[in-house]
Amino acid sequence: MNPLDASIAIVGAGQAAARAAHALRSQGHAGSIAMVGAERHAPYERPPLSKAVLCDDVEPALDVLTAAQFRDCDLVFMPGVRARRLDAAQHALHLDDGRILRYGRCLLATGGRVRELQDLPQGMPRVHYLRSLDDARRLRGALAPGAHLAIVGGGFLGLEVAASALRRGMQATVVESSPALLGRFLPAEVSDWLTCTLRRAGARLALGRSVRAVRSDAEGVEIELDSHETVRADQVLAAIGLVPETGLARAAGLLLDEGNGGIVVDACGRTSDPDVFAAGDCASQFSVHLGRHVRIESWQNANAQAEAAAAGLLDRAPPSQAYPWFWTDQGPHNIQILGLAASDLDYVRRGDPDGGARAVWIGHRSGVPIHGIALNAGADLRALRPLFEERIAFDAEEFVAGTAPMRAWVKSAIASHVTRT
Amino acid sequence: MEMRSGAVRFRLPLQERLQASMNWIRIASAHDLDDDEVMGINVGGARVALYRSDGEFFATDNRCTHAEALMSDGYLEDGCIECPLHQARFDIRTGKALCAPATQDLRTYAVRRDGDEIFIADPAVA
Repeated sequence: MNPLDASIAIVGAGQAAARAAHALRSQGHAGSIAMVGAERHAPYERPPLSKAVLCDDVEPALDVLTAAQFRDCDLVFMPGVRARRLDAAQHALHLDDGRILRYGRCLLATGGRVRELQDLPQGMPRVHYLRSLDDARRLRGALAPGAHLAIVGGGFLGLEVAASALRRGMQATVVESSPALLGRFLPAEVSDWLTCTLRRAGARLALGRSVRAVRSDAEGVEIELDSHETVRADQVLAAIGLVPETGLARAAGLLLDEGNGGIVVDACGRTSDPDVFAAGDCASQFSVHLGRHVRIESWQNANAQAEAAAAGLLDRAPPSQAYPWFWTDQGPHNIQILGLAASDLDYVRRGDPDGGARAVWIGHRSGVPIHGIALNAGADLRALRPLFEERIAFDAEEFVAGTAPMRAWVKSAIASHVTRT
Repeated sequence: MEMRSGAVRFRLPLQERLQASMNWIRIASAHDLDDDEVMGINVGGARVALYRSDGEFFATDNRCTHAEALMSDGYLEDGCIECPLHQARFDIRTGKALCAPATQDLRTYAVRRDGDEIFIADPAVA
């Protein structure tokens, strides 16, 4: 077959891939862009897969780019095609349809694949994993009112699906090996609030429990836990995390992060090969805010790294890094997070999670905010962001007692910081 | 000829003609909002967000085009409103969706200030 040529080849067709293509055009790249995606879909948003796609009567529109934006990207779009091999020396990608795609520069936006649980092999009847739109549609088809869904893994994804299942009139049981929900992301008080809230909503939570064995028959699935309890369910979802898709990079000899498994990139997304870049779930980048290399699986990170990589691909300076930001919609509640938890942080809270289900927590180190959590108060956390990004110490007592709107309080905190320094 | 001259005589600039034909509803006082503040108002069943930016007033639909969230709970800066749920951003002058996850623009409403009184064009008519 004829070789293909592209000035820039993007491997992957998810959030980071689409945002990078859009950013390349916005920044004036006039050369050709090829996009190779293993799935048969145009780039779509993944956050709704665990929520609206499972719950809404009509599947929502999921496109990352509008039809006009997609058209303006002027891509050579190859859905349903996988890149088998990256030949960095020859600037070529070998595709699984036998073609060779030559590139000037390449962006790996390969994302990740679900981590499989040995006892729950993919393809087994009644067993679900959730990463792709096709996965979500299959799961949606299996959600029946009155039936019981067991979820192994109490991370963001598992908990969101549990809330969706309850909304669909199902029973939901979550099995989580750690004793606290979302411990890496939430301080104990928020984690406890979430645990109580989910239980009140009807979810059964088996915390600090692991799966010992699984049996599946015509009647359903039986999950035996290490506590010798068993969970009988009609369907089971394994949501125990993501493995970064780094096969191409590894085989091409690109530097990988031993700790987090991601493809090591610099501030503009460049890998250890000068013409190969990476962005999104598969990339490990130094965070100026966290002070270490991190591989972050979030929607915001995919967008931000795509912007940075687009600048890098065009030899321009990347925009400054935003503070890591995450959100999750847990049933009716919206939780937003700035930064990550650390064991040495002191937490203070404004607001009442039980009374008004609205509160903001700040985890700080000697008054410098490091980790922020907003429960149904996203705009407040947004107002606080400058304190995190500029490392501005605040008065914890004032924060807790303050009654002024958050934005006004932040202004005064910045003003008194300026006066002190 | 007479008709034509008559038409010319009564011809107003497009903007003024539009404004004259609109149904204006008083919705707030100018001092209800400081700069970079936003408030939600129900106008005959329509949920409207009223913004104040650089001393000027603007109005859009209050509900985000992306998810069930209110712009009046959002964060207003540099003439852009950020949705409190997922940080979609919109230009408050044009309603234009500026970044993901929103792709659909917010509907805007004409705003008129008369002294301390703020009026918007009737959402049911506009």
